[in-house]
Amino acid sequence: MKCISCGAEIGLTDHVCPHCGRVLTETAAHQAAQIQYQNDSELTKRKAGKTLAGNIPLVISAFVMLLLVIGIAITGYVKKNAYHFREDAQRKESVNKYDEYSAAIREYLDAGDYTGFAAFKEYHNIAEWEAPYDDLRLLWSITGKYSALVTNVEAAVMFGPEARRYRPEDDVDGCHWAIHNFYYELEHPESDIDSDPYRDYIYDMKEKADLLLEIYLGLDATGRDAYFAASDLEQKVYLEEVLIHD
Amino acid sequence: MTKKVVFILSIIINIILGIVLVCNLIGASENLKFEYVEEDTIRPDSLRMYLDMQNYGVAASLSHPIRGGAQIAAEDADYYRLGEYADLLFLKAIFDKSGNTDTLKDCETRLAEIREEMPDYGILFDKIEQSAEQAIVE
Repeated sequence: MKCISCGAEIGLTDHVCPHCGRVLTETAAHQAAQIQYQNDSELTKRKAGKTLAGNIPLVISAFVMLLLVIGIAITGYVKKNAYHFREDAQRKESVNKYDEYSAAIREYLDAGDYTGFAAFKEYHNIAEWEAPYDDLRLLWSITGKYSALVTNVEAAVMFGPEARRYRPEDDVDGCHWAIHNFYYELEHPESDIDSDPYRDYIYDMKEKADLLLEIYLGLDATGRDAYFAASDLEQKVYLEEVLIHD
Repeated sequence: MTKKVVFILSIIINIILGIVLVCNLIGASENLKFEYVEEDTIRPDSLRMYLDMQNYGVAASLSHPIRGGAQIAAEDADYYRLGEYADLLFLKAIFDKSGNTDTLKDCETRLAEIREEMPDYGILFDKIEQSAEQAIVE
């Protein structure tokens, strides 16, 4: 737009010409419109502010709800996987404390306390399938069976004078299964026993298992040979005779 | 009006979610801190039951974790030690015959310690000893 007095460019809402100073009457309509727009804008702002203020508690509540849902999801996940988290933490700890744990394991083994070793390994979640404990792999696979043998036989033979036994036939099955598993594992080890660093302990474990059969099941060397030569049924009949008696 | 209803509903939902979150937090922290032998809550009850039933061998086998260094809740410690006593008596015969003299000595020392620590259980210890003797096949 141009000033009708000096011809200079002027703004649509200018009150006076910035060049000649003439009061501009031709922009009055634009000025009025500007004031109205400004007033409308102010009103809209106020309305929007009021609406927003009215929604703030709802927005906060929705935000809190979102946080709670996220919190529930996280704690639910932790709760469900807590066992694995703990197991992983213990495994890492067992790696960090390798020297200490190795010394403790060696003590159990030197004492011939293989069930103690099994309990220690399980309690500390020592992972024999990965470094640095992977040299224990064969020893552990046999110790697990030995521990099961001890557990089954002691559960089957030690009773008080007025003991109540649930199902003695289960004791027979348990012992039969445990004896088979241990000696089968020795005959078919997952790797060569003679080249294993813990071979002496494995052979000692076998001696102890032989003694266990002799002391608590009446199977000396000859008896063991006869037992292992017999059929499954005959083996169970023998165990029944020893374990289920008045 | 509708906004108010929605707001009240959201508050109620938030309270419920809050309760669920607190329960989850408690459950998660309990799961994270449990001990080996507390992991299976049936175990101490089973131990007690088998001791009552005079199934000392089963009690012995259930108490194995204690010999691996497991931490036992104070209220269950006695039951575990009774089981340990039975377990050591069972193993003692094997150590004796296998010639592990040091281990045998340790075994006997621990047996004496347990008896000394639990003077109220004398009769039970005698029964366990009797059961260990009778378990040996002549």
